[in-house]
Amino acid sequence: MAAALILDAEALNAVAHASERPALAIRARAILQVARDEGALVRVPSPVLAAVCPGGPRDAPVNRVLNGRGLAVVGLGAGTARRAGALLSRAKMGSAHAVDAFVVATALEFGSAVIATGDPDDIARLSSGLRQIRIFAV
Amino acid sequence: MSSQGAAKLSVSVPNDLAKAVRKKVGARGLSGFVARAMRHELEREQLGLFLAELDETLGPVPTRTLVLARAAWPRR
Repeated sequence: MAAALILDAEALNAVAHASERPALAIRARAILQVARDEGALVRVPSPVLAAVCPGGPRDAPVNRVLNGRGLAVVGLGAGTARRAGALLSRAKMGSAHAVDAFVVATALEFGSAVIATGDPDDIARLSSGLRQIRIFAV
Repeated sequence: MSSQGAAKLSVSVPNDLAKAVRKKVGARGLSGFVARAMRHELEREQLGLFLAELDETLGPVPTRTLVLARAAWPRR
């Protein structure tokens, strides 16, 4: 099964706003470069869009990087959503962390995955013991 | 399958490659396999162009940051 780089909201925002905030995008660009070199898929779980798309013209930078730049949004099926629920329960975390759980549950759909995140502590709690997942803080 | 419909393509590939893929996915799984491979390759190409564009406008990613990112990637 393919390897994947999964982007959370902070990672996607960093790339989308790279021109305005270049220093904040350096680490996100680095992990994208490695993903490209490794032939990995780059995926954005659809719930992440809730955190980065306030609507209207402010969505433009995110829309731009999701259009023909090799970053694809992956939809959330019922199975993945249920897996996210189980991850939250296992980590004793509430639904306030649902988007983080969706990110980890999406990563589990791949043979191995790196999660690029601005919230490595919560992602680490949710993915504790899952050897196929690694974390890269952006 | 995509809601945009399906296009029929006729392509030629080396015999050994065709044999290996048919063995892996069977004749009925061939279209899906080829579509995934095409999408993957296209995305990889697009990502490479995007990153090159960022390098050109913002400057290259520092080597030390790339080293850290490589260290985070799982070994094959």
